[in-house]
Amino acid sequence: MTQIATPSPRVRRLLPETATYITLSIAAFVSVFPFLWMLISSTNTSIDIIKGKTSFGAAFSTNVVNFFTQVDVPLVFWNSAKVSILTTLLTIAVSSLAGYGFEMFRSKMRDRLYALVLLTLMVPFAALMIPLFMMMGRAGLINTHIGILLPTIASAFIIFYFRQSTKAFPTELRDAAKVDGLKEWQIFLYIYVPVMRSTFAAAFVIIFMTSWNNYLWPLIVLQSNETKTITLVVSSLASAYYPDFGVVMIGTILATLPTLLVFFIMQRQFVAGMLGSVK
Amino acid sequence: MDNRTILSRFAAAAFAGASFFATTAAFAGEVTIWCWDPNFNVAIMKEAGERYTAKHPETTFNIVDFAKADVEQKLQTALSSGTTDALPDIVLIEDYGAQKYLQSFPGAFAEMSGTVDYSGFAPYKVQLMTVDGKVYGMPFDSGVTGFYYRKDYLEQAGFKPADVQDITWDRFIEIGKQVEEKTGKKMMGLDITDAGFTRILMQSAGQWYFDAEGNLSIENNTALKAALETQQKILQAGVYKPSSGWSDWVGSFTSGDVATVTTGVWITGTVKAQADQSGKWGVAPIPSLGIEGATHASNLGGSSWYVLESSAEKAEAIAFLNETYAKDIDFYQKILTERGAVGSLLAARTGEAYMKADEFFGGETVWQNFSDWLSKVPPVNYGIFTNEVDTAVTAHLPSLAQGANIDEVLKQIQSQAEGQIQ
Repeated sequence: MTQIATPSPRVRRLLPETATYITLSIAAFVSVFPFLWMLISSTNTSIDIIKGKTSFGAAFSTNVVNFFTQVDVPLVFWNSAKVSILTTLLTIAVSSLAGYGFEMFRSKMRDRLYALVLLTLMVPFAALMIPLFMMMGRAGLINTHIGILLPTIASAFIIFYFRQSTKAFPTELRDAAKVDGLKEWQIFLYIYVPVMRSTFAAAFVIIFMTSWNNYLWPLIVLQSNETKTITLVVSSLASAYYPDFGVVMIGTILATLPTLLVFFIMQRQFVAGMLGSVK
Repeated sequence: MDNRTILSRFAAAAFAGASFFATTAAFAGEVTIWCWDPNFNVAIMKEAGERYTAKHPETTFNIVDFAKADVEQKLQTALSSGTTDALPDIVLIEDYGAQKYLQSFPGAFAEMSGTVDYSGFAPYKVQLMTVDGKVYGMPFDSGVTGFYYRKDYLEQAGFKPADVQDITWDRFIEIGKQVEEKTGKKMMGLDITDAGFTRILMQSAGQWYFDAEGNLSIENNTALKAALETQQKILQAGVYKPSSGWSDWVGSFTSGDVATVTTGVWITGTVKAQADQSGKWGVAPIPSLGIEGATHASNLGGSSWYVLESSAEKAEAIAFLNETYAKDIDFYQKILTERGAVGSLLAARTGEAYMKADEFFGGETVWQNFSDWLSKVPPVNYGIFTNEVDTAVTAHLPSLAQGANIDEVLKQIQSQAEGQIQ
């Protein structure tokens, strides 16, 4: 008579763990692979990339030199950085105040107004593009960086995010501050901002990334080589009849680096911010 | 601090802010051009601009490169919104899309019929930019087709170059069978998810997805029918190497796996990039469909320059295009040599570069041949929905391999295309 082997408790504990690790490894591979592919490709010639070469090559320095001769790198990065940083700071300033206001001040119209703000999330940008472009044209803001950032700084999503986070902000703090004679702007600046700093940090990461990677609107607004941002430059490189994919990869890596840096530097605050500033 | 200092500080800050954002202010005499591909269109336009500035120092050029889809997106947005001051002076538009822009935005592009002598250009390039008898653009690069063949493979199979001159596609298949028998090589690379080959065949017999009036013409289109039949025969005879995607297709001939390539002249650079195959290639006119109206000349791709009617530099822009692209033979030699660009000006063939024999093609004067074929490409009406119909055609190409009835396929394409156009 054969005995049916029952797994030892150790094996029984290990099995689900192994399964978890395998699943996670596959998921990690899927998300990391494009970056790995990008890195590998940046070291190969265009022809090798088309052939699907999967090992590192020796063309990295050639690709870098070609990229730097074809693209005015400092100018393009300055343009992108200028737009992204200004957009981020202005969006945070406007939208955090709006989120704070929506939560703190009670009025009859508050929730209707708020619903209206949220409703704008449902309108796709493509539908707004032409009217916005006409407005920018009349205002003389075409081909300017301020034309890119103006329509984005009152972000319904960021307002929503700040209002949701503000719900956790203890009203007692505000009441106490009022008793101590602080004005509303002082409460916002000296109490709300420090308490909510991880919310601010998370907002910074989200807005910076969106703005840095923004493509369609800058494409419509910008008209000259001198104002172009990195996303437009990479797109232009990649659309040649015979694109030099090695150069395109260098462009893609350089375009990805700032968002990666911002994310890694602020990762801890970002995660904390997504979980809520006030425990 | 009194009010005045505050005010002046504010003004200074505002001024600094304004200058921080102020970027380009167009001054008189600068012609702005939008196009794609830094190594091709941009580089060629720079060359044209330098030639013009040398003679007219007061005119300068601002060439802005965007991706092709981006140029179209920007043009579409600016034209739809009527924000004409956001438009360049000259823009590059792909030939297949030209009628769409000319007819959708009447009055947006400058007529050049009075100024430019269009009789010097390949007729099909002029036709595609004509609306109601008025011509609106400056013909630029051509995708005139050629039949590139491996002399060595054909020779092994017992064929001389003379045997592939002016043949039909039926003969092509017969030759293909023998080539495969003797050399083991397939006759051509074929990607049945791409309608490019269909377009080449159809235009070679002087028809398109649209008739001269711009009406959809699929079911009764004899050239399209013959084009699909030919592809079905090629598929059934098995004389092709299946390719998936552009780079795979290019690889089919650069690797030496197939004996012939039928496509636009712009592939020449890619063919010649395989230095070890020098002397092994020849170029002949493409095979014909053998139906009424069939020729040995066709086209794939190409684009042309258009001047915006709203441009402040309109007259200057037209004068510039006319002086370089319509008259400067030497310019065409330079862009052929340096960029491999074949323009549409027929007189370019009288220049040195066009006369030159090419050792890669065994000493043939290939550019003279291409110039001959260029003048013979049948003019057709690309209409305003070429891309939409292309999608419908592409969707039905795979069914050819399964032996689908061609008339049925045409009916299905017609109904799908009608659905997409409406």
